[in-house]
Amino acid sequence: MELTYTAIEGGSKRYYYALAALAAVALAGLVGFSISYVEGHRVFGSSNVIPWGLPIVVAIYLIGLSAGSLILSSLTYVFGQERYKPIARMAVFLAIVLIFGAMIAIAVDLGRPEKAWRLFMFFYLNNMTSMFALNGILYGGYFVISLVYLGSILANKAKLIKPIGILAVCWAALVHMGTGAIFGFIATREIFYSPIKPLEFLSAAMVSGLALLILAVFFTLKVTGRSISNEIIFSLRRLLTILIIFLVILVLVDKLTHLYSPNRDATVFLLTGRYSPLFWVGQVGLGYIVPLIILLNPKTNKNIRWIMIAAASVVIGIFFERLALVIPGLAYPLQYYPGDIQGVWGQTGSFPIMPAEVILSVGMFAFLGVLYFLGLKFMDLLPSSTESKPAHGSAEVEPAPGGQGVD
Amino acid sequence: MAKWAMVIDLDKCVGCQACSLACKSENNVPFGSPDEQRRRLDIFWHKVIAASRGEYPNVNIEIIPMPCMHCEHPSCVPVCPAKATYRREDGIVMQNFRRCIGCKYCMVACPYGARSFNYREQEEEEYQRPDLPPDLGLDTKAYIGPWPYPHRTHGVVEKCTFCFHHIDQGLKQGKRIGIDVVPACVEACPTVARAFGDLDDPRSNVSQLLASRNSLKLREEFGTEPKVIYLPR
Repeated sequence: MELTYTAIEGGSKRYYYALAALAAVALAGLVGFSISYVEGHRVFGSSNVIPWGLPIVVAIYLIGLSAGSLILSSLTYVFGQERYKPIARMAVFLAIVLIFGAMIAIAVDLGRPEKAWRLFMFFYLNNMTSMFALNGILYGGYFVISLVYLGSILANKAKLIKPIGILAVCWAALVHMGTGAIFGFIATREIFYSPIKPLEFLSAAMVSGLALLILAVFFTLKVTGRSISNEIIFSLRRLLTILIIFLVILVLVDKLTHLYSPNRDATVFLLTGRYSPLFWVGQVGLGYIVPLIILLNPKTNKNIRWIMIAAASVVIGIFFERLALVIPGLAYPLQYYPGDIQGVWGQTGSFPIMPAEVILSVGMFAFLGVLYFLGLKFMDLLPSSTESKPAHGSAEVEPAPGGQGVD
Repeated sequence: MAKWAMVIDLDKCVGCQACSLACKSENNVPFGSPDEQRRRLDIFWHKVIAASRGEYPNVNIEIIPMPCMHCEHPSCVPVCPAKATYRREDGIVMQNFRRCIGCKYCMVACPYGARSFNYREQEEEEYQRPDLPPDLGLDTKAYIGPWPYPHRTHGVVEKCTFCFHHIDQGLKQGKRIGIDVVPACVEACPTVARAFGDLDDPRSNVSQLLASRNSLKLREEFGTEPKVIYLPR
């Protein structure tokens, strides 16, 4: 069967309403950013104990989603699995949108965002031993490569697609391993410091990227009136199960190594301290246990609805995985001197939820939703609905409900 | 080239915090409001910690003044993406406000918590340092370094500088560093618990103090080789 792609018409009222709603939220995020820029980062929840807050969490989360999504597009374009072809273009496009969002999130987290260009003065103004500076190369290159990749796919340059696809996939793996290295190389923070952090990040990226792709594909195709064969969802489900199990093994190894004495206090704090719900409920519960129960149970794993719940649970759970790395990892007080450090210098860091920061983060997701909707309208990303309806039948376009499938 | 170091005698330290205050006034470090202190948003270039061991009645409390350790192998320098943190030839680890992009990676990497982020626009931005030449900016050839900062802006990381403006000026005037010219915290110490000088010079007061007694460095397991060295009680 010859597969053709088409853009949605995007003329319906609901499309415009959804676009306007997302744009309004994105605008609110812009206001949040403006406040933080004028007032300083005191409007954020971060402090001198926990210097990194929600924007960094969102950034590494989006990088993960992006890298995972791009790696999965390789199933079609590098490994030649034709059955995934209907969703491959969306995977690449999603990857570009998400890495763009991640770069915005990093710039927003900087104390002086107007100096973000300094991160891209490779070797000249940059200190190349810094993981941030190296990641500047990785993210910038990744953005360019995936744009070329999408361009060659849209233009159907069959000879170009495969080599660029291989490059893009290797680069995507590097991108997220580099992100893991930002944390894994810091010996000061015991929860961060781990040689398998890059691999753990890559694995989490593939899990969350795949889960988001399942959600995005399903809801986008459903509301635009296209049919999707359950076979694709089921085979992606099997892949998701395997990837989650692999991620659980990596996290287990990491935490067990850190739990082994001596030097185990920080990890004990992570598992039992005030931020332990982030780990146990968010990361382990939503990220691993709930989806694994659904995906391994033969009663539920044949049901599309249950698979969607599992995928949504993974997408939320991996966000908590990032949160449970950054916040407790920094909140655990530094042991300057043996003994109990009295007063403020020995206190566990606290991370208040500040409105400007939350609005900013939500606004970033909404902005990505806007980009996604616009992309669907102006690029031929979706498979044509040849089976059920004629091509112009896609005029009755409806947006995805609640932005669940698009952010 | 000298290798500046500070020796702090914990036996003489009484925990009066005169060093912290002297640092704040010398470097014009802003004071935080009570709310900012509760949220740990205030800037400290120098802090004094108290570490207790044991339970009452068998309890022992040690008071440890902590400026930046100015490590020989600092963990903040390799992580800075913008070359804003660098180690001078005389071993002082510097922070250039103009280059700093505010990514806070150095604060994550520093094992001593020596760095603070400037979380708000300060009311008093100017540094009142009329004795120093004006700052000329990065693009001119006459660039004289990051001091005096013309404006203290929010969104950059700050830290202790070992009062390098005193040292540089003293060297120009031919004064003896460590005797005539010392950092503000050393100058302010009422019990003479602190000494400042050149580690490479065997006749300097710090070298002689280190030879006289056992000494310790904080968190030596990281291999950062701090140049703030403590004489234990």
